[in-house]
Amino acid sequence: MTQPHSSRTRRLTLLALLTAVSLIMFVIELQIPSPVPIPGIKLGLANIVTVFAVYTCKAGEAASVFAARIILGAVFAGTPVTLLFSACGGLLCLIGMLLIRRFTDIGSIVLASIAGAVLHNLGQTAAAVFVMKTTAVLAYLPYLCFAGCIAGAFTGLCAYLVIRRLRRSGAERLMQETEQERKRRRDKNDF
Amino acid sequence: MKNKLLIICCAAVFLISGAVSIYMWNRPRGSTVEIISNGEVVCEIDLSREPDREITVEYEGRKNIIVIENGEIYVREAECPDHTCMKMGKLSDNGVPIVCMPNKLIIRYKGGGDIDAAA
Repeated sequence: MTQPHSSRTRRLTLLALLTAVSLIMFVIELQIPSPVPIPGIKLGLANIVTVFAVYTCKAGEAASVFAARIILGAVFAGTPVTLLFSACGGLLCLIGMLLIRRFTDIGSIVLASIAGAVLHNLGQTAAAVFVMKTTAVLAYLPYLCFAGCIAGAFTGLCAYLVIRRLRRSGAERLMQETEQERKRRRDKNDF
Repeated sequence: MKNKLLIICCAAVFLISGAVSIYMWNRPRGSTVEIISNGEVVCEIDLSREPDREITVEYEGRKNIIVIENGEIYVREAECPDHTCMKMGKLSDNGVPIVCMPNKLIIRYKGGGDIDAAA
């Protein structure tokens, strides 16, 4: 006999796993020196997980994975300033991608990821203008947006490949609750 | 339909930001540099006439040592966690200012006003 909460436990485990994976990618990326000497430009490997979560989990779940990654990431990366930047950028990025997710299907995942990356850059720049108290940092915006398009396309493509592979192998079913579990939950009137 | 709209938006952002980047990268500049700390211009320097010297800018007790050498300017030492400004090297005339986020310091070519207008 399975435990009544098994589907919720499974969910929690999945989200914890996603958080861990994205945190690892985030820390690994910190070790790679940036190819361009412009602060703010990077590949955003950890965002592969964010895009993946947006397209496979519920909105709240994707948001909690993302929030956990940002906060834990700040513990490793260090400064409160960077936390503010990634929080501002990430929030915009997340909202944008969830909205696009709502109105389109999996086919637009790369586009959603590009839009998310550009929104991330906009949020970052806005935070920078606020922190530095000058609009001089706006000079970075075109470079950031351009790089964001490329990085966003890359992360989106990675997330797409992962999701396609999961679907083909049938592993995606493991992530969702089974019919049996759903029925039992309804019977027990458990949320 | 929505997909098409999204494609057009992404393509537009990509092309416009690319074009503006190339334009700003190639734009000719003067030789006057301004140092902005915490939102205020602390000094303006004409690099072509300035003798070699060092400038120390402080923010909340953390110092950035800026060096002017042979008409070029760079940050030699920064008391901040990331040292991005030091890694950026000499200020190049391609429109990318040197920025130290933790110490709220910006070094840029003057005439950034029209950059703001373009952005």
